[in-house]
Amino acid sequence: MKSSFPRQFIANTLALFCGWLVLSGKYDNFHLVLGFTASCGVAWLNTGFPHSPFQQFPWGRMVLYGPWLFLRIVESSLHLTKLILNPSLPIKPRLITYRSQLQHRGAIVVLGNSVTLTPGTITVEINGNTFLVHAIDEAAADDLTTGRMERKIAWVFQEDTNL
Amino acid sequence: MVILSIGLILVGVFFLVVAAIGTIRLPDVFSRSHAVSLTDSLGAICVLAGLALYQGFGINMLKILVVLVLLMLLNPVIAHATVRAAYRAGLKPQTEKDQ
Repeated sequence: MKSSFPRQFIANTLALFCGWLVLSGKYDNFHLVLGFTASCGVAWLNTGFPHSPFQQFPWGRMVLYGPWLFLRIVESSLHLTKLILNPSLPIKPRLITYRSQLQHRGAIVVLGNSVTLTPGTITVEINGNTFLVHAIDEAAADDLTTGRMERKIAWVFQEDTNL
Repeated sequence: MVILSIGLILVGVFFLVVAAIGTIRLPDVFSRSHAVSLTDSLGAICVLAGLALYQGFGINMLKILVVLVLLMLLNPVIAHATVRAAYRAGLKPQTEKDQ
Protein backbone atom coordinates (compact mmCIF):
# COMPACT_ATOMS: atom_id res chain seq x y z
CA MET A 1 0.00 0.00 0.00
CA LYS A 2 2.75 2.42 1.02
CA SER A 3 4.85 1.73 -2.07
CA SER A 4 2.03 2.61 -4.46
CA PHE A 5 1.41 5.97 -2.77
CA PRO A 6 3.23 8.27 -5.24
CA ARG A 7 1.73 6.57 -8.32
CA GLN A 8 -1.73 6.77 -6.89
CA PHE A 9 -1.22 10.36 -5.81
CA ILE A 10 -0.23 11.35 -9.35
CA ALA A 11 -3.16 9.46 -10.88
CA ASN A 12 -5.62 11.12 -8.48
CA THR A 13 -4.17 14.56 -9.16
CA LEU A 14 -4.43 14.09 -12.93
CA ALA A 15 -8.02 12.82 -12.70
CA LEU A 16 -9.06 15.77 -10.52
CA PHE A 17 -7.25 18.24 -12.76
CA CYS A 18 -9.05 16.85 -15.85
CA GLY A 19 -12.32 17.43 -14.01
CA TRP A 20 -11.23 20.99 -13.25
CA LEU A 21 -10.33 21.63 -16.91
CA VAL A 22 -13.74 20.42 -18.11
CA LEU A 23 -15.76 22.29 -15.52
CA SER A 24 -13.92 25.62 -15.35
CA GLY A 25 -13.43 26.28 -19.07
CA LYS A 26 -10.90 29.07 -18.35
CA TYR A 27 -7.38 28.42 -19.56
CA ASP A 28 -5.36 31.45 -18.40
CA ASN A 29 -2.37 30.90 -16.13
CA PHE A 30 -4.08 32.04 -12.95
CA HIS A 31 -6.93 29.52 -13.18
CA LEU A 32 -4.67 26.66 -14.30
CA VAL A 33 -2.29 27.14 -11.35
CA LEU A 34 -5.21 27.51 -8.95
CA GLY A 35 -6.80 24.30 -10.22
CA PHE A 36 -3.55 22.37 -10.11
CA THR A 37 -2.86 23.44 -6.54
CA ALA A 38 -6.37 22.49 -5.47
CA SER A 39 -6.12 19.10 -7.23
CA CYS A 40 -2.81 18.36 -5.52
CA GLY A 41 -4.25 19.28 -2.14
CA VAL A 42 -7.39 17.19 -2.48
CA ALA A 43 -5.46 14.22 -3.91
CA TRP A 44 -2.92 14.41 -1.09
CA LEU A 45 -5.69 14.40 1.53
CA ASN A 46 -7.51 11.48 -0.09
CA THR A 47 -4.71 9.12 -1.17
CA GLY A 48 -4.07 6.06 0.92
CA PHE A 49 -7.57 5.35 2.14
CA PRO A 50 -7.51 1.65 2.96
CA HIS A 51 -9.76 -0.90 1.25
CA SER A 52 -11.43 1.33 -1.27
CA PRO A 53 -13.17 -0.98 -3.78
CA PHE A 54 -12.22 1.42 -6.54
CA GLN A 55 -8.47 0.91 -6.16
CA GLN A 56 -8.35 -2.09 -8.51
CA PHE A 57 -11.34 -1.01 -10.53
CA PRO A 58 -11.14 -2.28 -14.15
CA TRP A 59 -11.95 1.02 -15.85
CA GLY A 60 -10.90 -0.20 -19.32
CA ARG A 61 -13.28 -3.16 -19.53
CA MET A 62 -15.93 -1.07 -17.75
CA VAL A 63 -15.92 1.27 -20.78
CA LEU A 64 -16.62 -1.75 -23.01
CA TYR A 65 -19.47 -2.81 -20.73
CA GLY A 66 -21.13 0.61 -21.17
CA PRO A 67 -22.44 0.20 -24.74
CA TRP A 68 -23.88 -3.26 -23.98
CA LEU A 69 -25.74 -1.85 -20.97
CA PHE A 70 -26.92 1.08 -23.10
CA LEU A 71 -28.49 -1.29 -25.66
CA ARG A 72 -30.21 -3.26 -22.89
CA ILE A 73 -31.53 0.03 -21.43
CA VAL A 74 -32.97 1.12 -24.79
CA GLU A 75 -34.57 -2.29 -25.33
CA SER A 76 -36.21 -2.47 -21.91
CA SER A 77 -37.27 1.19 -22.10
CA LEU A 78 -39.23 0.42 -25.26
CA HIS A 79 -40.72 -2.65 -23.56
CA LEU A 80 -41.81 -0.57 -20.56
CA THR A 81 -43.20 2.18 -22.82
CA LYS A 82 -45.40 -0.40 -24.56
CA LEU A 83 -46.63 -1.68 -21.19
CA ILE A 84 -47.52 1.81 -19.93
CA LEU A 85 -49.28 2.92 -23.11
CA ASN A 86 -51.27 -0.32 -23.37
CA PRO A 87 -54.84 0.52 -22.25
CA SER A 88 -55.22 -2.75 -20.32
CA LEU A 89 -51.93 -2.17 -18.40
CA PRO A 90 -50.69 -5.80 -18.60
CA ILE A 91 -48.17 -5.68 -15.75
CA LYS A 92 -47.28 -8.61 -13.52
CA PRO A 93 -45.19 -7.10 -10.71
CA ARG A 94 -43.14 -9.54 -8.66
CA LEU A 95 -40.28 -9.72 -6.17
CA ILE A 96 -37.34 -11.88 -7.23
CA THR A 97 -34.61 -13.18 -4.95
CA TYR A 98 -31.37 -13.58 -6.87
CA ARG A 99 -28.21 -15.10 -5.44
CA SER A 100 -25.14 -13.79 -7.18
CA GLN A 101 -21.71 -15.43 -7.27
CA LEU A 102 -19.72 -12.23 -7.67
CA GLN A 103 -17.00 -11.73 -5.07
CA HIS A 104 -15.60 -8.23 -5.71
CA ARG A 105 -17.54 -5.54 -3.82
CA GLY A 106 -17.28 -3.22 -6.79
CA ALA A 107 -18.82 -5.92 -8.99
CA ILE A 108 -21.81 -6.23 -6.66
CA VAL A 109 -22.28 -2.45 -6.73
CA VAL A 110 -22.12 -2.44 -10.53
CA LEU A 111 -24.66 -5.28 -10.77
CA GLY A 112 -27.08 -3.54 -8.39
CA ASN A 113 -26.67 -0.25 -10.22
CA SER A 114 -27.17 -1.85 -13.65
CA VAL A 115 -30.32 -3.62 -12.48
CA THR A 116 -31.78 -0.35 -11.21
CA LEU A 117 -30.66 1.59 -14.28
CA THR A 118 -32.52 -0.84 -16.55
CA PRO A 119 -36.17 0.24 -16.63
CA GLY A 120 -38.51 -2.48 -15.41
CA THR A 121 -36.23 -3.85 -12.70
CA ILE A 122 -35.10 -2.19 -9.48
CA THR A 123 -32.85 -3.40 -6.67
CA VAL A 124 -34.79 -3.30 -3.41
CA GLU A 125 -32.24 -4.78 -1.02
CA ILE A 126 -28.74 -6.24 -1.18
CA ASN A 127 -27.67 -8.56 1.61
CA GLY A 128 -24.15 -9.84 1.03
CA ASN A 129 -24.61 -11.67 -2.26
CA THR A 130 -28.39 -11.91 -2.22
CA PHE A 131 -30.31 -9.42 -4.30
CA LEU A 132 -33.98 -8.65 -3.77
CA VAL A 133 -35.24 -7.29 -7.07
CA HIS A 134 -38.64 -5.87 -7.95
CA ALA A 135 -39.56 -6.51 -11.57
CA ILE A 136 -42.58 -5.22 -13.48
CA ASP A 137 -43.03 -8.45 -15.43
CA GLU A 138 -41.22 -11.64 -16.30
CA ALA A 139 -39.65 -10.37 -19.53
CA ALA A 140 -38.13 -7.33 -17.77
CA ALA A 141 -36.24 -9.59 -15.37
CA ASP A 142 -34.95 -11.98 -18.06
CA ASP A 143 -31.46 -10.48 -18.17
CA LEU A 144 -31.02 -11.04 -14.47
CA THR A 145 -32.70 -14.42 -14.02
CA THR A 146 -30.86 -15.98 -16.95
CA GLY A 147 -27.59 -14.63 -15.53
CA ARG A 148 -26.68 -12.71 -18.68
CA MET A 149 -25.99 -9.48 -16.84
CA GLU A 150 -23.97 -11.24 -14.13
CA ARG A 151 -21.85 -13.05 -16.74
CA LYS A 152 -21.02 -9.72 -18.38
CA ILE A 153 -19.98 -8.19 -15.05
CA ALA A 154 -17.98 -11.30 -14.14
CA TRP A 155 -16.11 -10.77 -17.41
CA VAL A 156 -15.51 -7.10 -16.59
CA PHE A 157 -14.01 -8.03 -13.22
CA GLN A 158 -12.34 -11.21 -14.59
CA GLU A 159 -14.02 -13.46 -12.04
CA ASP A 160 -14.51 -17.19 -12.40
CA THR A 161 -18.16 -18.00 -12.08
CA ASN A 162 -19.51 -21.34 -13.17
CA LEU A 163 -22.65 -19.84 -14.65
CA MET B 1 -27.23 19.24 -37.00
CA VAL B 2 -29.95 21.50 -35.59
CA ILE B 3 -32.73 19.34 -37.05
CA LEU B 4 -31.13 16.20 -35.62
CA SER B 5 -30.85 17.77 -32.17
CA ILE B 6 -34.47 18.96 -32.26
CA GLY B 7 -35.52 15.44 -33.23
CA LEU B 8 -33.56 13.94 -30.34
CA ILE B 9 -35.05 16.41 -27.87
CA LEU B 10 -38.57 15.65 -29.11
CA VAL B 11 -37.97 11.89 -28.70
CA GLY B 12 -36.71 12.58 -25.18
CA VAL B 13 -39.79 14.65 -24.37
CA PHE B 14 -41.98 11.80 -25.64
CA PHE B 15 -40.36 9.40 -23.16
CA LEU B 16 -40.67 11.97 -20.36
CA VAL B 17 -44.42 12.24 -21.06
CA VAL B 18 -44.74 8.44 -21.11
CA ALA B 19 -42.94 8.31 -17.76
CA ALA B 20 -45.36 10.88 -16.31
CA ILE B 21 -48.36 8.88 -17.56
CA GLY B 22 -46.84 5.72 -16.11
CA THR B 23 -46.30 7.36 -12.73
CA ILE B 24 -50.03 8.08 -12.57
CA ARG B 25 -51.30 4.80 -14.01
CA LEU B 26 -49.20 2.23 -12.15
CA PRO B 27 -50.58 0.96 -8.85
CA ASP B 28 -47.92 1.15 -6.12
CA VAL B 29 -44.63 2.81 -5.24
CA PHE B 30 -42.52 -0.08 -6.53
CA SER B 31 -43.98 -0.18 -10.03
CA ARG B 32 -44.15 3.62 -10.13
CA SER B 33 -40.42 3.81 -9.56
CA HIS B 34 -40.00 1.79 -12.79
CA ALA B 35 -41.84 4.53 -14.68
CA VAL B 36 -39.61 7.14 -13.06
CA SER B 37 -36.49 5.22 -14.10
CA LEU B 38 -37.71 5.61 -17.69
CA THR B 39 -37.14 9.37 -17.25
CA ASP B 40 -33.50 9.09 -16.38
CA SER B 41 -32.70 6.42 -18.91
CA LEU B 42 -34.07 7.22 -22.36
CA GLY B 43 -35.67 10.57 -21.50
CA ALA B 44 -32.57 12.22 -20.07
CA ILE B 45 -30.22 10.52 -22.56
CA CYS B 46 -32.15 11.79 -25.58
CA VAL B 47 -32.70 15.32 -24.27
CA LEU B 48 -29.08 15.75 -23.16
CA ALA B 49 -27.71 14.20 -26.36
CA GLY B 50 -29.87 16.63 -28.33
CA LEU B 51 -28.56 19.56 -26.29
CA ALA B 52 -24.97 18.37 -26.73
CA LEU B 53 -25.42 18.19 -30.52
CA TYR B 54 -27.00 21.64 -30.52
CA GLN B 55 -23.99 23.08 -28.69
CA GLY B 56 -21.57 21.57 -31.17
CA PHE B 57 -18.14 20.25 -30.23
CA GLY B 58 -16.56 22.19 -27.41
CA ILE B 59 -16.38 22.65 -23.68
CA ASN B 60 -20.16 22.82 -23.28
CA MET B 61 -20.62 19.43 -24.94
CA LEU B 62 -18.12 17.93 -22.48
CA LYS B 63 -20.01 19.49 -19.57
CA ILE B 64 -23.29 18.00 -20.79
CA LEU B 65 -21.62 14.59 -21.07
CA VAL B 66 -20.40 14.96 -17.47
CA VAL B 67 -24.00 15.67 -16.39
CA LEU B 68 -25.11 12.56 -18.29
CA VAL B 69 -22.55 10.34 -16.57
CA LEU B 70 -23.49 11.76 -13.16
CA LEU B 71 -27.18 11.10 -13.87
CA MET B 72 -26.41 7.49 -14.80
CA LEU B 73 -24.49 7.03 -11.53
CA LEU B 74 -26.76 8.91 -9.13
CA ASN B 75 -30.30 8.19 -10.32
CA PRO B 76 -30.18 4.43 -9.61
CA VAL B 77 -28.86 5.22 -6.14
CA ILE B 78 -31.79 7.56 -5.45
CA ALA B 79 -34.33 5.09 -6.87
CA HIS B 80 -32.80 2.27 -4.82
CA ALA B 81 -32.84 4.37 -1.64
CA THR B 82 -36.52 5.28 -2.13
CA VAL B 83 -37.61 1.71 -2.82
CA ARG B 84 -35.56 0.26 0.01
CA ALA B 85 -37.02 2.80 2.42
CA ALA B 86 -40.53 1.83 1.29
CA TYR B 87 -39.71 -1.87 1.69
CA ARG B 88 -38.19 -1.44 5.15
CA ALA B 89 -41.14 0.69 6.25
CA GLY B 90 -43.26 -2.44 5.69
CA LEU B 91 -44.88 -1.59 2.37
CA LYS B 92 -45.65 -4.81 0.49
CA PRO B 93 -45.56 -4.66 -3.30
CA GLN B 94 -48.67 -5.71 -5.15
CA THR B 95 -48.18 -9.05 -6.83
CA GLU B 96 -50.06 -10.94 -9.51
CA LYS B 97 -52.42 -12.67 -7.09
CA ASP B 98 -53.75 -9.41 -5.64
CA GLN B 99 -54.97 -8.13 -8.96
